[in-house]
Amino acid sequence: MNEQLELLIEMGRHYAETQDIEVTMSRALERITELMGVDGGALFVLEGGEEDGNLVCHASHGPIDIRGLTIPAGTGIVGRSVAANKSEVVWDAQNDPSFNKDLEKDLDFTTRSILCAPMSVKDERLGAIEVVNKSSGDGLFDDEDLQLLEALAASAALAISNARMAAEVADKEVMRRELERAGEIQRGLLPEPGDDDSIIAGVNHPARVVSGDFYDFFTLYDGRIVFTLADVSGKGMNAALLMAKSASLFRCLGKEDMRPGRLLQRINAEVCETAMRGMFVTMVAGIYDPKSGRLVIANAGHEPPLFHTPEGEFVAMEASAPPVGIPPELTGGGPVAEDVINLRGGSLYIFTDGATEGYIAEGVELGADGFQAMIEDGLKNGQSGQARITAVAERLSRAGTALRDDVTVLVIDDAKPLQERQKQADYDPDPKPQRELPRMDGPIEGQLCTLSVPARAASLKLIRQAIGDTANTCGFNKEECQDLVLAVDEACQNVVRHAYNGREDGDMDVEIRCEGSDFVVLIRDFAPAVDVEKIKPRDLDDVRPGGLGVHFIREVMDDVEHMPPPDGQGNLLRLKKAM
Amino acid sequence: MDISVSDNNGIQVVAITGEVDLSTSPQVRDALLKELATGHGVIVDLSGVAYIDSSGVASLVEAFQTAKSKGQGFALAQVSETPMRVLKLARLDQVFVIYDSIDDALSGLA
Repeated sequence: MNEQLELLIEMGRHYAETQDIEVTMSRALERITELMGVDGGALFVLEGGEEDGNLVCHASHGPIDIRGLTIPAGTGIVGRSVAANKSEVVWDAQNDPSFNKDLEKDLDFTTRSILCAPMSVKDERLGAIEVVNKSSGDGLFDDEDLQLLEALAASAALAISNARMAAEVADKEVMRRELERAGEIQRGLLPEPGDDDSIIAGVNHPARVVSGDFYDFFTLYDGRIVFTLADVSGKGMNAALLMAKSASLFRCLGKEDMRPGRLLQRINAEVCETAMRGMFVTMVAGIYDPKSGRLVIANAGHEPPLFHTPEGEFVAMEASAPPVGIPPELTGGGPVAEDVINLRGGSLYIFTDGATEGYIAEGVELGADGFQAMIEDGLKNGQSGQARITAVAERLSRAGTALRDDVTVLVIDDAKPLQERQKQADYDPDPKPQRELPRMDGPIEGQLCTLSVPARAASLKLIRQAIGDTANTCGFNKEECQDLVLAVDEACQNVVRHAYNGREDGDMDVEIRCEGSDFVVLIRDFAPAVDVEKIKPRDLDDVRPGGLGVHFIREVMDDVEHMPPPDGQGNLLRLKKAM
Repeated sequence: MDISVSDNNGIQVVAITGEVDLSTSPQVRDALLKELATGHGVIVDLSGVAYIDSSGVASLVEAFQTAKSKGQGFALAQVSETPMRVLKLARLDQVFVIYDSIDDALSGLA
């Protein structure tokens, strides 16, 4: 029995060292043939089922290397032994009908006697060990040999079974770590949650390691905030991947399209192009201006966001389009309809159904009423928007049971921006809808025209043409158009002459935008940052050539601002004139 | 942009047509300084100017200062609406000598 224990211990240790079950099996077989004093041996592993699987030789020792030899389960001497789960002595192999003589026909080796013992753990059959030709004595195996091989095979079976389990555990551990890493990356896709001073804040408690929910927001150069919240159908890895895709699309496209309805349309088109069958995303996107309280929102199949009015009412903002992921051919396409509201110091809550359908006690949902009550309580207790939604998420997470679904809530709290607005001299307590622009088909907003040109004097004529025509289309009179052309020309000249210092290989982007009732021109270059302090309009009483450009720009435009360029490179000048 | 020059008893009338911007203003500057170097005085006819920017205005200012330092006459004439607006923005409409017609300018400078 000592051999048996030693073999078990040795195999265990060997596997722990090598983590390679093939090598361990080979080593075990070598030890067994040594211990038994035989000419050769083979270890067969059952792959597939007991009835329709195969017995594959994984280790072989002796004159013939039969590794890789595959025989259907239930056939041959090995198959017989495995099927019966019983060890067997074959005295005269050559006359056994199950013996395969082909293997040794070209060799100077004859199998006389075979001993075969099955390997099984509990009822699971793992395979068998076979040894041939006892070297000592009359070469015939006896019952003692049979018992020894049975014992050794049992040890080998246990070692193989342990190794397999260890490998499975290791695989699961790898999967678990991968999943955790995926979860980390997902959390990295969310913006900072915000604090008590935040106008916009979000919270996301995933029910599992990865989440199918997400929210995101970012501030534009002019202070407006673009935001989204979405819920991907399903909860597993596929939902997490679609979430990552949708979130990235929002980040990219959200920076170039200021119309939430059109943004959702574009995200839908992209998602549908590489559709994940049967999966969809309910999504809300919007843009909010803290300077006016105005909020434009579009809802593609999502739970209606709640506007908590300054009067204390909750107003649901229903979805007006199917979720993202439904092909545009089926729905007719087109931008998602937008709602425009003024928050007037109130707040807007966007959330996934995990927030209202989450349990606050065994089998008791928080519900829409409970959600609203928590918000009202938070407001009464002077909690910030961020604190109010965090309280909701924490209450659901504390309920004692695991979260039923991901809980994600986004809040836009207009209370502080309203206080700021009220300090302004021209504060209008009852803001009127902005006027529609003349000579355009319907209201326009966002980008009107962009030009990317080489930063040289010869490009200026083209820029003047674009500015003049665009300003004219926006309804400026002839003189205003001339002034705008002059101001933008001067600003672009400064890029050519000063930023690039006369180098002619630089680029410059001019973007003309309509923002509310403002005509905005953004001039971007990729030259080294200029020292803004040194740019001053000249004293007009000092009559001399040069230095007039900056004066022209300031005279014509309502607002001139040097902005931080989007990725920190170059210079960005923003010129604004009210229409 | 085009520049044409005509001699009127030693007074050079420099007529500029088209757009004066960063790429064309050096030609305006060179032409004005050249005429000041040879003639008694210069009248700049701005009736055909569709656009002028700060660099164009700077060329006019530089020529004006050169003329002044040499005691030569320098005037603008027939300033069309667009350049006049720019001169006003620069408050230079009160600095330059401006005539409504070439004839007025010629008699003014004589």
